[in-house]
Amino acid sequence: MTGYFENGVGELVPDALSGFARAHADLVEYDAADGYVTARHTAPTRRVGLLSGGGSGHEPLHAGYVGAGMLDAACPGRIFTSPHNRQVFRASRAVAGPEGVLHIVKNYTGDRINFGIAAERLADEGIACARVLVDDDLASDSEEIAAGRRGTGATVLVEKVLGGAADAGTGLDKLVEFGTAVAGRCRTLAVASAAHHAPTTGEPAFALPSGELEYGVGIHGERAGRTRGQGRVGALVEEMTDALLDDLRPGSGEPVVALVNGLGSVTSLELYGVFGELCRVLDARRVRLARHLVGDYVTALDMRGFSLTLMVADQVVLDFYDAPVRTPALRW
Amino acid sequence: MTTDPVTTDPVTTDPVTTDPVTTDVFDGARTRDWTRRFADSVYATEAELTALDQQAGDGDFGTNLAAGVRAAGLLLDRREAPAGPAETLGIMADAFLDEIGGTSGPLFGLLFQALSRAAGSGPGLTTAALAEGSARGLAAIRRVGDASPGDKTLVDALAPAAAALRAAQGTPTAAALAAAADGAWRGVRDTASLTARRGRASYLGERATGIPDPGAVGVALFFDSAAGTVHSLAPRLSTG
Repeated sequence: MTGYFENGVGELVPDALSGFARAHADLVEYDAADGYVTARHTAPTRRVGLLSGGGSGHEPLHAGYVGAGMLDAACPGRIFTSPHNRQVFRASRAVAGPEGVLHIVKNYTGDRINFGIAAERLADEGIACARVLVDDDLASDSEEIAAGRRGTGATVLVEKVLGGAADAGTGLDKLVEFGTAVAGRCRTLAVASAAHHAPTTGEPAFALPSGELEYGVGIHGERAGRTRGQGRVGALVEEMTDALLDDLRPGSGEPVVALVNGLGSVTSLELYGVFGELCRVLDARRVRLARHLVGDYVTALDMRGFSLTLMVADQVVLDFYDAPVRTPALRW
Repeated sequence: MTTDPVTTDPVTTDPVTTDPVTTDVFDGARTRDWTRRFADSVYATEAELTALDQQAGDGDFGTNLAAGVRAAGLLLDRREAPAGPAETLGIMADAFLDEIGGTSGPLFGLLFQALSRAAGSGPGLTTAALAEGSARGLAAIRRVGDASPGDKTLVDALAPAAAALRAAQGTPTAAALAAAADGAWRGVRDTASLTARRGRASYLGERATGIPDPGAVGVALFFDSAAGTVHSLAPRLSTG
């Protein structure tokens, strides 16, 4: 049993958001009544508001990416629970640009429905609204899963690249087309050696024998398709990277962006070890690693695991990725 | 200047007393009565709805629907001036969209929003407006939920209700709504034999077969309440 430091069940998310807004008061604002975070500064060239959201427990996603050059608003739900359509609707109204608002949605049934209801309400008010769906999780790529691949780590990369494109004055239709293409060239695999602990009970979401790992785990404690021995990290990263490359099949010389992401309680030591192994595999496969991120970007509470995301890019994507960004969790 | 009776518009001097279609329009008061009866129907059947949802969902649908009509009733009662049909349905929409958790309640809100729009764009809640609003509401709900008829969702009641309203063009509003209610209840009874592919019951698969979909029941209750309060689901669910 793990005790969370909190004032009570249901208090953790609003308390954290209030503290987050104080900590980053120069960048973001938190509307506690309507439950969303907005950017204080946004490029005057932006014609479309960018909004994302989803269950809490994945910090710094999504509120950590609100700010100049990335999201205009984020709607956090309760832990691992979709935001209410009211949050999305009101936040969208608050940040819609002259060409409307774009929702970046991770592919989960609840998120799709709640963002969809908000989109219908916006349309009813004459506010243009469209969606880019992120569905990068290779482990849920199966004909038996009608809901399709889950959205996970690639969300950060898609939000960053779309932020650059939106700052360049790109219109809504072009952003949807571009964002969908970018998201379609991202794949992720995640592994865990221990589940997260549920804040309500303090108990692990699932039990795993010592030395075993879940290969293809979700970011809400969804168990993987298979459990296997942990073994050496080099062999593990090689297997994961080859699976991603096999699906993405980057062309010769095509630049690739990598995200080595901690799921909550893996150490920085381990993540850099993983990154080193990733570089070794990519070098051996003659894949051009153009950009990379190493750290905790999309977590699953305190899950002991990491995910690897690869995005196949081109010069346009890289330019938007390189464009300046100033958010609580990402800046350059 | 003297008024010349010849130039007066005959339509305004001679109100539409002879046109059965137009006199049957649901004005603000009749629409408000309809929403009151819908609330009463929901309260009367809440326990039955909950029992259904415990077998074919997560058990909170009856509670959510009751919370929706209660929230809408409070907002409507707070108004000082009587509301027109578009405004009444718009308030229903806001209550269901803003105040209710889960997803089924807000989906009902989308139906009310579409009906409100359709009522507001014409002379009120005519058969034509009901047909247009239901069709638009159905389309919105299908887009959001990615649900088709036969998936064992509220679409299975709303689709036949919307079709009945479309087929009832030119008939009085009350008769058209009765046909919509009949269609919706037929759709509800059909959901009992379906295996869910979307929504609340899809996680239960075959286990929910034999149980009508509670969301579909909610839609039928709404159309049925145009004519009167529904005090019990059992007779409606067993009619062949």
